[in-house]
Amino acid sequence: MTEEDEAAFDEFLAARSTALLRTAILVCGASQHDAEDLVQNALEKVYRHWSRIRHDNPESYARRVVVNAAISAARRRRVIQEITFARPPDTPAASPDVELREELMTELRRLPARMRAVLVLRYWEDLSENETAALMGCSTGTVKSQAARGLARIRERMSPREGVLG
Amino acid sequence: MRLEEELAEAMEAHVAGVRATPAMGGAIRRRHRSHRLRFRTAGVALATAAVAGAVPVYLSLNAGPPATVSGPAAQSGQGTAVAVVPDVAVPEVVGMQTQEALAVLEAAGFKAQIEGDGGDGGLVVQQTPAAGEKVAPGHVVVLTSAPPSPTADPKPTEDAGRGGEDRPSIPDDLGDLGDGRRFGGVEFTYLPAGLQWGEGSVKDGFGKTSYSTWWQEDGLEPGMYSVQAVVYRGQAATELGRRMKGYRDQGARPVEIGGERVYIVRAGEDVGQIEEEGTPTAVWTESPGLAVEVMMSPDYYARLGQEKAGAELKRIVEGVVPGR
Repeated sequence: MTEEDEAAFDEFLAARSTALLRTAILVCGASQHDAEDLVQNALEKVYRHWSRIRHDNPESYARRVVVNAAISAARRRRVIQEITFARPPDTPAASPDVELREELMTELRRLPARMRAVLVLRYWEDLSENETAALMGCSTGTVKSQAARGLARIRERMSPREGVLG
Repeated sequence: MRLEEELAEAMEAHVAGVRATPAMGGAIRRRHRSHRLRFRTAGVALATAAVAGAVPVYLSLNAGPPATVSGPAAQSGQGTAVAVVPDVAVPEVVGMQTQEALAVLEAAGFKAQIEGDGGDGGLVVQQTPAAGEKVAPGHVVVLTSAPPSPTADPKPTEDAGRGGEDRPSIPDDLGDLGDGRRFGGVEFTYLPAGLQWGEGSVKDGFGKTSYSTWWQEDGLEPGMYSVQAVVYRGQAATELGRRMKGYRDQGARPVEIGGERVYIVRAGEDVGQIEEEGTPTAVWTESPGLAVEVMMSPDYYARLGQEKAGAELKRIVEGVVPGR
């Protein structure tokens, strides 16, 4: 790798690493610390092929690697997560907004990893159905159905109290 | 408000405070340089690779076979893998922070349940089954957690934690092997000059029954390898046969060395995958039920240069004889 490659990689990190880390946290449902480990590991792959891929949309390559790693990590985390994130019974009620958000995040974490990844990419990253499909290596139809089913599940679990959600 | 928007806002709020550390570039380059044993074993450990970065060598080794022995089919249904995989040893987690213990057990393929006053913020004072006991992957390890005493050593700083990575506890399942040339019923009569035994070994880390050890150049940190060898017997040899067939399907052709048909490939991190910049690897069946794999670390390979490294790899293969 040339010095110029190295400098470009640093620039790439400065511009993208926070966004990738956030994506990883959301997709994998992990703590920041665990997600950092995962992102570093994924970005090591990017670094390994950097001189080859830097001129060819490294951003989408990196996002794909990170999302895939986060999905596999999420699958392995599942059981422990449910223990770790189990809500203490007597949490004092916070403001309704905060509480709603927390519940949404809890329900989001309960979804299967790929379904959750679709929701994160579609609604948080604001990718199109096509972009999401390309990134996840599946069809647009799958993205559509996974997004719809994910939303439906969340809605169903929240609906007893949150009838307001459309 | 629509659910999509509520959800997007909740996600945004959840990660708004997260910033990647500026040190990430350094950390990534360190990872890249340290082609540790575990990176090679990450190929075996498959899905555990991401987490394995933070755990000692022997954990990634132990975590490996469960995920892989039954092939790609096992990845979709976690339950199906469990029925056919060999038992693995429970890692020692007593004395760790609960969270750390969870991560370690998870990386090793176990589930965990926390009991006791410390909850999930305490210290692990007891574990069942005990460390070293062999149980099926996915087994629930019950941890007894005690509240951390105020005088106890606080959780080491992040840096110290990462420093710990440089001192992995090296497994030595096969005990003192002397020069490491005789194990698993075969003998490695040739090794490149300047390599010493890595003073560690693993039993059944690559499937049952398998034996592995490695050799290092001078000055390499413990747990890193220049050349690593695995001897496969029984079920593990059968699995390796399947992997060789996979290499063949990807276009690899065996070369004849010392009368054996040897596949020499660059093995990627995904099991059975050939990858342009993968680990130089030779695999062959020595006799029915006995197969051998020799891997050269990409660093060592680069240092020797392609031609010399290739020749050395062949000489190592040639030098392998059934043990006396």
